[in-house]
Amino acid sequence: MEWFNILKARLRALFRRESVLRDIEEELRVHVEIETEANIERGMSSDEARAAALNSFGNLSRNTELGYDIRGAGWLETFWQDLRYGTRMLMKQPGFTLVAVLILALGIGANTAIFSMANALLLRSLPVPQPAELVTVGRGDGTGEPLSYPDFVALRERNGVLAGLAASHFAGVSFGNGARSEMMRGELVSSDYFDVLHLQPALGRGFLPEEERSAQPVVVLSHGLWQSRFGADPQIIGQTITLHRQRYTVIGVAPAGFNGMTGMFRTDLWLPLMMLPQVRPMFLTSLSNRHDQVFAAIGRLKPGISLAQAQTAIETINRGLELAAPPPVERRRDPNEDRSLKLAHPQGIGLPHYRRRAQLATTLLFVVVGIVLLIACANVANLLLARAAARRKEIAVRLALGASRLRLIRQLLTESALLGLLGACGGLLLAFWINRALMALKPPLPESWGFRLDLQLDATALGFTLLLALLVSLLFGLAPALATSKPDVVPALKDETGAESRRGRFRRFNLRNALVVTQLAVSLALLIAAGLFVRSLQQMQKVDLGFQTENRLALSFNLDQEGYDEAKGREFSHQLLERVRALPGVRAAALTNFLPLGFMGLAEPVVIDERATSPENPQFAAAQIIAPDYFRAIGTPLARGRDFSPQDSANAPAVAMVNETMARRFWPNEDPIGKRLRIGNPEFNPQPREIIGVVRDTVIGSIGEEPKDVTYRPLAQQHSQWLTLVVHTSGNPKALLIAVRREVQALDENLPAQEIKTLDEIVAFSFWPMRMGAELVGTFGLLGLLLASVGLYGVMSYAVAARTREIGVRMAIGAERRDVLRLIVGQGLVLALVGAGAGLVLAFAVTRVLRRFLFGIGATDPLTFIGVALLLTKVALLACWIPARRATKVDPLVALRYE
Amino acid sequence: MTQPKADLLQGTLDMLILKALSLGPLHGYGVIQRLRQLSDELLEVEQGSLYPAVYRLEQRGWISSKWGVTEAGRRAKFYTLTKSGTKQLTAEEESWDRLALAIAKVRKAV
Repeated sequence: MEWFNILKARLRALFRRESVLRDIEEELRVHVEIETEANIERGMSSDEARAAALNSFGNLSRNTELGYDIRGAGWLETFWQDLRYGTRMLMKQPGFTLVAVLILALGIGANTAIFSMANALLLRSLPVPQPAELVTVGRGDGTGEPLSYPDFVALRERNGVLAGLAASHFAGVSFGNGARSEMMRGELVSSDYFDVLHLQPALGRGFLPEEERSAQPVVVLSHGLWQSRFGADPQIIGQTITLHRQRYTVIGVAPAGFNGMTGMFRTDLWLPLMMLPQVRPMFLTSLSNRHDQVFAAIGRLKPGISLAQAQTAIETINRGLELAAPPPVERRRDPNEDRSLKLAHPQGIGLPHYRRRAQLATTLLFVVVGIVLLIACANVANLLLARAAARRKEIAVRLALGASRLRLIRQLLTESALLGLLGACGGLLLAFWINRALMALKPPLPESWGFRLDLQLDATALGFTLLLALLVSLLFGLAPALATSKPDVVPALKDETGAESRRGRFRRFNLRNALVVTQLAVSLALLIAAGLFVRSLQQMQKVDLGFQTENRLALSFNLDQEGYDEAKGREFSHQLLERVRALPGVRAAALTNFLPLGFMGLAEPVVIDERATSPENPQFAAAQIIAPDYFRAIGTPLARGRDFSPQDSANAPAVAMVNETMARRFWPNEDPIGKRLRIGNPEFNPQPREIIGVVRDTVIGSIGEEPKDVTYRPLAQQHSQWLTLVVHTSGNPKALLIAVRREVQALDENLPAQEIKTLDEIVAFSFWPMRMGAELVGTFGLLGLLLASVGLYGVMSYAVAARTREIGVRMAIGAERRDVLRLIVGQGLVLALVGAGAGLVLAFAVTRVLRRFLFGIGATDPLTFIGVALLLTKVALLACWIPARRATKVDPLVALRYE
Repeated sequence: MTQPKADLLQGTLDMLILKALSLGPLHGYGVIQRLRQLSDELLEVEQGSLYPAVYRLEQRGWISSKWGVTEAGRRAKFYTLTKSGTKQLTAEEESWDRLALAIAKVRKAV
């Protein structure tokens, strides 16, 4: 703490400079007097005594200074002086200050905004006490949920490294009844869930151990749900609510701000995991089968246990479980699947798959805004250099008066830091606004997923901004400070501007020109990156999806969850189709178990013509289950054979259809019609089906994927409780929204109100990442171009001002305006062309790292390169032309009379 | 003052000042006098080095200062050893003793 005492003393001295000095002087004076008296006592005369005392003291004022060096504020005082002086200088030139701060605010604000995004997506920990102790358990590469319930119980009981381990499973739950019912996001959790997270319910209690022993219909509400649906009713505990048509007793309300285990997807309510078979009937065996891996797990490290130690302990238990009961082949995604368990601290997005994508995207965006910031820095450096010329005299005076160069540099850097901090303040305001815009750009996921992106300027973001501001100040301030403080006293004091014009002003490659060329080059590279994204988006939108999206509506149901059995489900789908097809304005309507480019998909093993397949390496194909008329409803043309018809009923011979890719793969040079295949898990020995038709390929999972094998089965022969209704309308599909919903409600008023979306809206999700890339990189690219052209404009204006006299002379001896225009524009154009050339080389070298983000074009797409280079040259010409025009307005007489 | 003076090792002055003050509060001139007495006139501390050292010690919190009145009735600034100063003095004395012992051993080895 010594340094702290010293800092305190210095800070105190800063505000009491005079009294500290007086104190030292007084003390030394007293010393001399006491010594004088002592000398007199020893027999000296009073004059002698005083002289001797003073003599032994040496230089009194020097000693005062020495004392002040220690007791005064020291470096703090110089800093304080610099700060006050810097503030004065900035206030003296408000125009310069405003422009510089604005430019910096743009650069810093963009970085702060992207940082708060990275913070939310990757860094922020769960809003619970002691989040650093929490660990999530993931399997293999971390995709999917890792643990079955038996595994979870074994791990929870046998491990000695975790103070607690809780399991959680996400499930949509229909909430309420009648017309008001809707889907909510539920987490089915183990009884110790809230204890492991160290959360105290805002109201009521969490789950009890007995609620994990038998299925008990109790529920904990999220704070948000409690407020929005129950008006924050303090009497809510003990009341019952309806979830998936069952009565649940409310036992607690979670604390405010806690939204479940993954930061990105909101949880509305928590149920005991024992309710899983009732909430999701398809998971009937999930509480007893060790191969039903449906639970995510989160634990808390015991004090003193490191992540690595815990990892080893957990994996040891896991290996034992794996050996005791290895998963059957058909349960594995591939034979060499990594089955180890891995621990990680939960940060940002909990789901590793999304996390990696977010990492990639934020890295890209950081590079982009980093470049924008560099361009902004170059601009401010240029402004400072221009100002340096104006301050030559002031600097020269200070040098002549004996200021050291180091002291001057420190002074100038303090000014830069002030600018940087002001820029950071502006940047924070801007970031607040950019964050709003970014939050509006969230992916068009279904509302019921509860996706939320909460971008805040929290303490971490503020710290980042402050650090960035200081770093940036050094970056843009150092070169100008070095240049400005160069001792060049005599000509500056003599006011010899002519001297400089002889030496430096027309030098082509001075620092200012180099900065502008760099700016232009970097912004060109950035714009090319933006252009590549825009072109990729265009290419993507040109891809033939294999189905039509115009005038089509889609609406999904999960009948399982609504307690429908198969008979009731069949009846519902039959009635629904009949009713919707009868609506005016409906051209076709059909059902499918999933939509291409929707959010779900299903692949099943297939056996072709009874050909032997190795059990280690089963063939998989996407498995759509559709009602007749599906292909007409979605606009996929038939290639051969016939479509399913109402005659392909449950009792009729089993039939199937395949897409062209599948036909080509398994029956090359053969007609697939009449061939046979089995679709489904071999465990259940699926029946052989005859292929009756082949349809054109459609994309299934993502645009641009390799064409996938797809099988189709008639809904009548293979019922599905997951259903999506597709409606092809003759006019604007939105006009039928209400009518379609009314038909659904008429069939079952308790079905939760689902979002009806147009197919265009659903497919938009597939374009979303590329659209984001194009919009974000494009916006920042244009910002970079704007800043770079402002830089060029500044340099050219400065050049014109400096050459006023020369231009006057030229015009006096007969130069035309055109000649002057050409002279100035030419000078600027040289800079622009050098910059563009360097930028093209740079872009050529670096855009290849973008390859994985692009679609349908190469990373060196010539059209983009040429187009963007032309754009840059045009903007650069404009930036030169304005000052050049000003140059032509020079009045030769005025110019010559100047000075 | 005609006697040859002992040179002060770097950093020793701090310890000596703390030692002088451990016997009671003193003003600057008093410190010099006490060190002279204690060293049998061998040590003559320069004022020019005394005050910077005293100020440094004060900033570190090892001594504190207060304006008071001398026996002769003159206003002067008195320095007092603080608690952490006492600790510091013990530590420095111990390390000094160790050093002295070590040097003595090395010299006797010849």
